[in-house]
Amino acid sequence: MIEAYFIHLLILIGIYIILAISLQLAMGFTGLINLGHIAFLGIGAYTSALLALAGWPFWIAFLLAGLIAAFFGFLLSIPTHKLKGDYLALATMGFSFVVYAILLNWTELTRGPLGIPGIPKPSLLGFSFSSNLSFLILTAVITLISYLIIKRLVTSPFGKVLESIRDDELASKTIGKNTFKSKAIALVVSAFFVGIAGSLYAHYITFIDPSSFTIIQLIPVLLIVIVGGLASLEGTIIATVVLVSIPEMLRFVGFPSSVIGPARQILYALILLLILIFKPKGFYGKVKL
Amino acid sequence: MSIITQLLINGLIAGAIYALVASGFSLIYSVNKFVHFAHGATIAFSAYALYFLFSITGLNFWLSAILAVTFGALIGLGMNLIVYKELRKRKASSVILLIASFALLILLESLVLLYFGADVKTIGYINVAKGIEIFGAIITPLQIMIILVSLVLLVLLFLFMKKTKIGKAMRAVSDNKNVAEILGINSEKIYNWTFIIGSAIAGIAGVLIALEQNLEPTMGTGLIIKGFTAAIIGGIGSVPGAILGAFLLGFAENFGIWYLPSGYKDAIAFVLLFLFLLFRPNGILGIKKGGDK
Repeated sequence: MIEAYFIHLLILIGIYIILAISLQLAMGFTGLINLGHIAFLGIGAYTSALLALAGWPFWIAFLLAGLIAAFFGFLLSIPTHKLKGDYLALATMGFSFVVYAILLNWTELTRGPLGIPGIPKPSLLGFSFSSNLSFLILTAVITLISYLIIKRLVTSPFGKVLESIRDDELASKTIGKNTFKSKAIALVVSAFFVGIAGSLYAHYITFIDPSSFTIIQLIPVLLIVIVGGLASLEGTIIATVVLVSIPEMLRFVGFPSSVIGPARQILYALILLLILIFKPKGFYGKVKL
Repeated sequence: MSIITQLLINGLIAGAIYALVASGFSLIYSVNKFVHFAHGATIAFSAYALYFLFSITGLNFWLSAILAVTFGALIGLGMNLIVYKELRKRKASSVILLIASFALLILLESLVLLYFGADVKTIGYINVAKGIEIFGAIITPLQIMIILVSLVLLVLLFLFMKKTKIGKAMRAVSDNKNVAEILGINSEKIYNWTFIIGSAIAGIAGVLIALEQNLEPTMGTGLIIKGFTAAIIGGIGSVPGAILGAFLLGFAENFGIWYLPSGYKDAIAFVLLFLFLLFRPNGILGIKKGGDK
């Protein structure tokens, strides 16, 4: 019983790690305050769920979830490339509202508020990941690959270009860097990984509805990135493990589930406020927001 | 004909409510230069305070309403003193303040959810009155009252900003904080006043909305998105602009669902918000976002 619960927790942590390190790529390394991050999760989850239910093999649905989210990342990067700071934050938030409204209202495709039930568990080359343990292994492998790719990206010379854009975009332009293209690549790669995280989420929970992809669901991810510290992947991973586990303690203390939901939100919001006031660089962060 | 008048009236009612939300929000923005999303939570708190005092405790209605508005003003002031002031002391950027306001919104809404539960509440002070017919359109006395209160408040706010000493000081800080401080204006004190007045307007909005609609813990988020959209459409940082934007949004939503399924009502606001942020971030009145960089 405890074991099964532990596996469930680890799967959630894996999905949150992908969500958080991809936000870290956009926000921590490139300085793009993207509050539309959660919209890509929804796009990925719905793409993967709908394709899988239409009979497509899991791995194609999985990759397309990433690619279509990446495509929307590209679309978002075009009109927002001149925006900075709070205006960028607000425009990307507006984007997430638009995506939410479409998921909710395009009922022919998404079934609207009813959501999509019965999403099949993934299967690969005849092997079905229907047990939670096998799903954990799948999640762990994908999380590790995502981490290695993003790590490689941010430590490469291109990663330095991204950091130069974050610190001083004008200077970066002056030495001849195409900052528009670099920011677009950062956002596209970030969106791709959120998209595949969305696919994992959809096939793990097997039910999705628009309410899982609202701006409120972004709070834990934002919190993880800020607590871990901007531009620190290791800090992000530690923060994910700690912050996803903490509210789970509430369950063991024996609170009813009607209390756990709001209590979890209160806990996250409080930690976020305290961190912003007393430790705005997070625990391992290199830069200030 | 009657459909058009009905839609006009519906747009006017929605616009009046959005104007109350947007004017307080915009007042706070114009002086403090950051997006105070938790303004939505102030509205929800006042609405629930009215529900608690009047429907549960059984207090006199007018006393409950006055207490609810006072409570809203205090919540706003409290947020400024406990959170925003601390952040300002540490030279936090406007992005940090925005994220903090967001955290406050979720914190306060979750507290309402925890205490009152997720189910919808109704106040039921005014019995469902028969609507009055104007040119074939129906409007209830409460809705007329909402429009009137909204208009009177907006005129009062305008006079306050133009005539009183605090109002003038607010405009001075909004225009140029450093010069205002040199002239002896205590900007922290002015910040407090904008939160008190902006949140009191939010409190009145909360009371009126509580009478007209049902109460839900997440009502604040929905309302602040509308108020915020109105402020962006009209030109953020300008209170008259926000009011203009509020009525435009009210009309756009109500005429929009003439063509679109009614589920898209909220989507109209989202799309307008997104388009304005991208292509006309200074709003219709084209007021430059002052004060930064």
